This record gives sequence, C-alpha cells and structure tokens, in this order.
Amino acid sequence: MNEVVRAVIIALGILIVMMTIAASLIWVERRALALWQDRYGPNRVGPFGLAQVLADMVKIFFKEDWIPKFADRKVFVVAPTIIIMTVLMSFAIIPYTREITLVDLNIGLLFFLGMSSLGVYSVVLGGWASNNKYSLLGTLRAAAQMVSYEVFMGLSLMGIVMITGSFSLVDIVEAQRKVWFFIPQIIGFFIFTVAGIAETHRLPFDLPEAESELISGFHSEYSGMKFGMFFVGEYLGITLISGMIVTLFFGGWLGPAFLPPVVWFLLKTFVFILFFVLLRASLPRPRYDQLMSYGWKFLLPLSLLNLIVTGAVLLFMK
Amino acid sequence: MKHDFTVVEELKTKFSALEFVEQTTSDGVPTLWVPKESIVEVLGYLKNEVLKPYRMLYDLGAIDERERKHREGQPISDFTVFYLLMSFERNSDIRLKIALKGEYPTAPSVTRVFQNANWYEREAYDMFGIKFDGHPLLRRILMPLWWEGHPLRKEHPARATEMGPFQMPEDKSIEEQEVYEFKPEHWGLKKSTETTDFMFLNLGPQHPGTHGVLRLVLQLDGEIIVDIVPDIGFHHRGQEKIAERQSWHTYLPYTDRVDYLAGVVNNLAYLMSLEVLGGIEIPERAKVIRVMLCEVFRIYNHLVWLGTFAQDVGQLSPVFYTFTDREKALSIIEAVTGFRMHPGWFRIGGTAADLPKGWETLVRNFLDWMPPRLKEYDKMVMGNRIFKARTVGVGLFNVEEAIEWGITGPNLRACGLEWDLRKRRPFSGYDQFEFDIPIGQNGDCYDRAVVRMEEMRQSLRIIEQCLKNMPEGPYKSSNPLTTPPIKDRTMMDIETLINHFLNVSWGPVMPPGESGVAVETIKGITSYYLISDGSTGAYRNHIRTPSFAHMQMVPFMSRSYTIADLMAILGSLDFVLADVDR
Amino acid sequence: MTIVFYIAALVAVISTAMVITRLNAVHALLYMVVSLLSVAVIFFILGAAFVAALEVIVYAGAIMVLFVFVVMMLNLGPASAEQESRWLSPAGWIGPGILSAILIIELVYILFTNARQDILTQSVAPRQVGIALYGPYILGVELAAILLMAGIVGAYHLGRYKNVFLHRYLHKELQ
Repeated sequence: MNEVVRAVIIALGILIVMMTIAASLIWVERRALALWQDRYGPNRVGPFGLAQVLADMVKIFFKEDWIPKFADRKVFVVAPTIIIMTVLMSFAIIPYTREITLVDLNIGLLFFLGMSSLGVYSVVLGGWASNNKYSLLGTLRAAAQMVSYEVFMGLSLMGIVMITGSFSLVDIVEAQRKVWFFIPQIIGFFIFTVAGIAETHRLPFDLPEAESELISGFHSEYSGMKFGMFFVGEYLGITLISGMIVTLFFGGWLGPAFLPPVVWFLLKTFVFILFFVLLRASLPRPRYDQLMSYGWKFLLPLSLLNLIVTGAVLLFMK
Repeated sequence: MKHDFTVVEELKTKFSALEFVEQTTSDGVPTLWVPKESIVEVLGYLKNEVLKPYRMLYDLGAIDERERKHREGQPISDFTVFYLLMSFERNSDIRLKIALKGEYPTAPSVTRVFQNANWYEREAYDMFGIKFDGHPLLRRILMPLWWEGHPLRKEHPARATEMGPFQMPEDKSIEEQEVYEFKPEHWGLKKSTETTDFMFLNLGPQHPGTHGVLRLVLQLDGEIIVDIVPDIGFHHRGQEKIAERQSWHTYLPYTDRVDYLAGVVNNLAYLMSLEVLGGIEIPERAKVIRVMLCEVFRIYNHLVWLGTFAQDVGQLSPVFYTFTDREKALSIIEAVTGFRMHPGWFRIGGTAADLPKGWETLVRNFLDWMPPRLKEYDKMVMGNRIFKARTVGVGLFNVEEAIEWGITGPNLRACGLEWDLRKRRPFSGYDQFEFDIPIGQNGDCYDRAVVRMEEMRQSLRIIEQCLKNMPEGPYKSSNPLTTPPIKDRTMMDIETLINHFLNVSWGPVMPPGESGVAVETIKGITSYYLISDGSTGAYRNHIRTPSFAHMQMVPFMSRSYTIADLMAILGSLDFVLADVDR
Repeated sequence: MTIVFYIAALVAVISTAMVITRLNAVHALLYMVVSLLSVAVIFFILGAAFVAALEVIVYAGAIMVLFVFVVMMLNLGPASAEQESRWLSPAGWIGPGILSAILIIELVYILFTNARQDILTQSVAPRQVGIALYGPYILGVELAAILLMAGIVGAYHLGRYKNVFLHRYLHKELQ
C-alpha cells in the first residue's frame, strides 16, 4: 500500500509543479520577451508583476465561454482537453531524479512519442469543429506539420536508443554518467529541438496559428477557459519538450553534487524554456511549403544519416 | 519645372482632322481638350506610337463643371474627364480633357489602352455618375453599394445636416449588411474548375495583416491565390468633398490625414499646387525647414513600415526597436511643430512658425542615433535567412508592369527605374541637396525593403545638410496671399491692413485657374489637382495618391502566390488605407 | 489486471459499434481512435508493450490523423449524413450482421473449448521484437518494406500536384 501512496503523492506533486510552471511561464515569457524587445512587460501587479499570472488566470476563468452557433459542439469542447491530457500524461514518464520518477516504463520513449502524436488531435479537431475557414487552413497546416515532424522526432531519438539499448528514460539518463548525449548525438539533438518546436507550434514554426495570416488559425473561435487550455497546453508543451531535451541529451538530473539532482533538472529545463522564448523574440516565420521541404528534404536525410553513422560507430566499437 | 510642349504639335500633325483646344494652366502642364470620341485613339497614340511615349496613366478623374464661373476659352461642358499621362523619356506630363454634356453623361472607357484606368473610371462613376462605355466592371468603388446619389456632384449634400435626420430601421440595416455578402459571379469569378473547387476567403476589413480597413476576397486553390477582389472604401472620408467646402487655408489640416504616416509631406504636396496657383515665392529658409521636416517624416514612415513589415513575416521584435527610433523622430517633430502625427504645420507661403531654439541639438542627436540602429536592422531583418526566404522572388513585377499599373515611389524604384521627382523635377529646393536615389533590380518584396532601408540613410544625409546649411531669413513669404500674413507692417499702411483682415477672416482668395503639381511624397507621387474659381476655397480638389494605384495592382502581383506571400506583398508595398480611400 | 482488461474490452466493443452507427464521418473516426486506443491498452496488459506503443503511434497517432485530415477536406455536409442514415437501414446491416454473428459464435466456441489454457502473459521487450523481426521473420519485413515502397511511389504519382495556376512569368516561358 505504501507504494501506491507514494506514487499518488509523486503524481500529485508533479501535476501541481508542472501546472504552476506552465502558468508562471506566461509571466516568464512576457517579461523575457519584454527584456529582449526594449520594453517593461507586466510589472504592475505584485512584485515584478508576478501576480499578473494570477490576474490572467482569474480573467480567463471568468470570461464568457462562447461556443459559436455554427461549431460542432461536442468536438469543439473535447478538443482543448486533449492537448492538456496528452502532455500531462507524458510528464508521468520523465525521470526528474532517480527517486522522483512516477513510472519507469520500459517503453518510456515510445510512450512519449505516442502521446505527442495524439496531441495532434487537439489542434486538428479544434480547427475542424470551429467551422471557420481560417481555422480550417490552420488545421490543415497543423496536421501536415505535426505528422511530418513526428517522423523526424522519432528518428532523431533512435541514435540514443541504439547507444543505450533501451527505451527506458531512467536507463538513458544513467547512460549519460560519462558523457552527455548531446556530444555524441549533436545532430540528433538539433533535429529533436527543431521537431520539438514544430510539435509545440511555437514561433518560428507557428504556422497553424500565424496571427498575421490566419488570425490564430485553429483556435480563432475559442474564448474563455477553452482558449486558456490551448494556451496552458502550449506552455506545458514547451516545458515537456525542454524536459525531454534535458533528459535525453543533457543528462537529466545529473550534475555536480553541490546542488540536489532535482534542482539540476529544473535549472537545465529552465534554460531551454528561455531558449524557446528567445527564438520567439528573434526569428521570422518561414512559409508553409518552406517548412515542409525543410523537414522532408533536409531533416529526414540528416536524421537517417545520423542513424547510419551512429550504428556504424557502435558496431565498430564493439 | 518645364514641361515638353512639342507634343502638342505632334498631336496636331498626327490628328489633323481633330479639333484640339489648348488650355493654359498654372502648373505649366500642356493641357488639351480632345473630342470625346477620339480620346481612346489619342491616348493609344501617346502611349504606343509617339516618339518618347507617355507610358504611364498617372491620373484620371472628373470635374463637375456645372456651377463653375471662370471657364474662359474652354469648350462647353457639364462634366469633364481628365487624363494625365507621364513620360519618363521626356520627363514631362500631358493633360487631356474631354467635355461631356448632359446630367448623367457617358464617356468611352480607356481601360483597353491603360489597364489601371479601371479603378479610376470606377471612382469617377462612383463620384459623378459618369458612365464609361466598354468598362469591364463598372461598379461603385469607394461608396457602399447601397449609397444613393454620387457624392462629388455639386447637388449632393456635403454635410449630414443637409441630408435630413439619419434613420436606420432594421430592414435597411439588414439590406446594407447583405450587400457585403460576396458573390463570386458578380465579379466574374468561377466557383470551380474541372479539377478543383475554389475556396473564397474573406480577408478583412478587420484583419491584422491588412494594416487597416481593407477587405480582400481571395479565390484560393488550396493556399494558392487564384485571384483577389479588393474591396476598398472603408476608410473613405470624402476628403475631396470636404475640400470644396473648406477655405484654402483651413483645408490644410485635412491633408495630414490623407496619408496619415506622412504628416507634413501631405501639406507640402497640397501647398506645391496651391503656391503655383497663387504664384507665391517661398523664402529659402522656409524651403529648407520644409525639406528637413519632410525627410524626418520619411524616416518616421519607413521605421513604422519596417517594423510592421517584419511583423507581417512573423518577426515580432523589430517593431519595438523601430518604434523607439520613431519616438526619437517624433521628438523633433513635436518640438518643432507641437504635434506628433498630424502637425498641419506648413502654411501657404511658408511655415507656421520659425524653428524653436535648440533644434540643432535635437536634430544632431537624431543624426547620431540612427546610423548604428540602421546597421542593426540590416543584420537583424535584412540579413536574416528566413526573412530573405520569405521575400526574395515574392511579389515580382518589372518596370513595364509597374508603369502599366501606375506604380510610383520606392515600389517603382525597386524594379530598377531611377525615377524620383526630388531629383527629376526638383521642388522646394531639393536641387540644392546632395543625395542618391537607391534603386533595386528585381522588383520583389526584398528589393522594395532594400530601397526603403537605403532611403532612410539618404534622408539622414539630407537632414544633415539642412542642419549644416540652414539659411537665415524669414520663414514666411511676404506675398499678400500668405496665410496668416506677416503682421509687422499691418499697422503701417492700409493696403496691408486690408489684406491682413481679409486673409485672417475668410482666408486668401486664389486667382481662378488650375494646378496639379506632382510631388514625390513618401509612398510615391502625390498630386493635388486644384481648381480655383476665384473664391476662398477649391472648386474641385482631386487628390491623386500613390497607394490607390498600388492597391489596384495587388491582385495582379499576388496571383499564384500563397496567403503567406500575400502578407509579405501587402507589407512590402507600404500603403496606407487612408491614402487609398481618401 | 483482469478488471482493466474487461473495461478496455468493453470500451473497444462499444466504440467500435459507435464507429458503425455515427452519421458524421469525423465523429465515427474519433470513435475509431478510441477503439484503437483501447486495443492498445489490451496489448499492454497482455505484455506486448511494444506493440501497444506502436499501435498508438502508428495507428491512432498517424494513420487516423490522416483519415480525419482527408474527411475534413471533403467538406461533408448534411447530405452525406442523410446518405449515411440510409445505409443504416435494416436491409443494409443484415448481411454484415449475420457475418459478425458467425464470428462471435466461433469466438465463443474457441473460448469454451480452450478455456482452461492460460493466456500467455509474458512480457515481450522491444529487443525481443526486434530480434524476432530481423531473425526468423526477415523475409516478411522485407516484403512489407517493398510493399510500402510501392505505396510511396504510388502516392507520389497520385499526389504529384500539377499547379494550374502558374506565375505569369512561368506562363510566358511555357509559350
């Protein structure tokens, strides 16, 4: 029974911490963007504007939650919950430290890929159910973009799987005791990061939303808390991808002993979250066909090459 | 500016059977009245056959002549349609006019000769009720489809108070809403072909990518644009009608609002025509002050353009940097004029006031501030690989196409034609300054950006020269038409006192005549075609704006590109909806 | 674990029934996704975690997304819903119903005759799957690969997009 209680506590802890991080990311992003754009950002509510998060949450909860008459009601309501669920499920398999690991699944990595591929439904269904031409265009872009980039995401991770010989994330972190995987798998790291941005559809790959073309694309018609769920889902997604980058390529909780392992994990994750924000502050958005051809004509051959070279080196070392 | 009058002889020899009536105008543009039946032929000759042809239809408009008193030497006419052609080889214009008789007359359409006559003729129809025979699609363009009457006709009321109480019963409101439903067949568009069904996407009038109230209906095959129907007029404020009820002087602040990013440059365009009409000489100091402020506004406009253009292609940050710089430019404008966006600070015969004490420091600071910033934008925006991928080769057009569609300004120069009236027909003392005209080569979105980036540097050069060589002397002409007149001699002699009293109470009276001087404003060439009937206000004020012509070309240059490209194209054209709709 | 199995099985059966009876194609596809997910759970319980994961990634996450994608683009209106409802008339479902009944009888018969044998619940790791695939079943893998290659070539041929709306400069070059 002790085991079950422990699992429940960890699960609740992860849930609360992750939701808090996602929510406060709203503040972090706005302040960091402001810093890079010569402005102040939210600085009025509470110390450093920290209570802005609270104010935003209150606002979004009390906003009118409007469902357009022309929308497909059921699907419209279900869509935003999918993104939250799939992302939160993925957090279950991330090893925060050796002790704080909810499940050490022997197919952990595949579970992550499975969940991220299910996340597509959120965008696709949300856009379709809105019954709006802009949303539909956004959805078409999103479906093609996310399905394609999942391929490269999966392939980019196979190098790590070959080195460790396991899909378990704990094993993968343990295997990085000598050297973090971003050194032998630098190409894999690069492809995974790019695919991760595409999966979370953040700028520069925010084509499904593209506010200057498609006016928020797939979530044009969403308001109130349903919009909030897409919003929080996006930040959860960023946190998840950052966490995965750290787990897979930057040694997870590993680090010099003067800080506890979980702090190392969070610190590294935070660096990548900031990296995501910096990308948004600096890069323009490519065109849809450019994004697709970049993926299929550049990333796919590159990830296959990475796979072949990794395999060859492994065989040679044997 | 001397125009080439040899063309009059050429026309007379070619069309010896026709009776041309010559008219002298204050602006010195050769003006000929042509029988309306032969206008298409004459225009065709001028465009295609004559040596050093007039290749651009620069302007087309109409005049309601029914209440005009001073028409000495002009043929009898109820309505007049005028055509202004521009020749690049001659660096000269020619104005042709046709006389129309009757309440709702008909004129031949010249769209077969000049493609860009399309919108101009629609506007003339919309505003005057003149029908154009052979026009492909003669519909209202600026006014809503349910509008009754044609606003620029003299009998149409100018004020709401003349129109009776406003009422909007529900059925009328529904009816007016229904007009906006888009029916492809009305515009001659197909709903499908054998292999594909088109999607019609309504973009605007509320859309972040259109920079204002512009509605574009896209005919799409997937994301590829098959055709576009622009629907303009949402920003129409009746600038030309207002001009007919304002005095020459009080109309000045309205011009600021024509291109609301150009501020005093609009004043300059208006005043160039007006001062020619009144024969007013401007003192040197006033000229240099005007040039300096115009160039500050040019930089200001280009900064806003750069930021929003970068944002159109998804780059979020530059707009915040450029708005910091814009604030620096505004600090000069604010200190000098007391206003920010719409100073309305130039006056007939000079400027409203002299430069304030310490203006040199402000300008010097700005000149020091900008160059490193521009260098940064070159790296951050122009050098960015994604930015290049989005703009190079997008929205292409060449010089011939640009001329055919009446494109002017940086958009024309980006195709490689070095045509800047500041150099070609120096006005307001631009010939005294050293500066280069940047040109592009390919006429794509990227080249248009390159040209504007370089224009900012050239503007800085001009401002620097203004700073170093600001002449001493009066900031206002001593001409009696100057408004408000110089006061120092008012109490000395009765002549000046009377002039002062009249000018201040009902404003200057311009001698009868016509004048339309082409001025290189920021977005292209603007001209105010002013007709004075010897009174305190304009009898007719026709505003030719560059954005109108640019907007007309959008469908042509966007076909076969994607929606994302359309945003880049719209951004790169640098139009202002107020400038399109007036 | 048995309870979980029965819940998952029930969900699979119900959602599959919903797939057949929904009039709206997208709704039907969504139930199909649910059905696939519950089957994945069953695989997981039976120890085939690797297959379960692939079921989610490949079937639920990729193939069904493409189905939804296509159906969305077809722009099906009320007319198609009406057509669907006509297909659900008794004349339409009697045939498939009889065939399904035969399958159920077979299944029940198998269950009752072999009921005493325990169902194999030994966990199969990804490594074993890989070794099996590239060992004894290499021929099958190769055949599947060839088939997929043919599929890709076919898809490329079908999907080769002929852009009828060329840029005006390209038109000039073609002439």
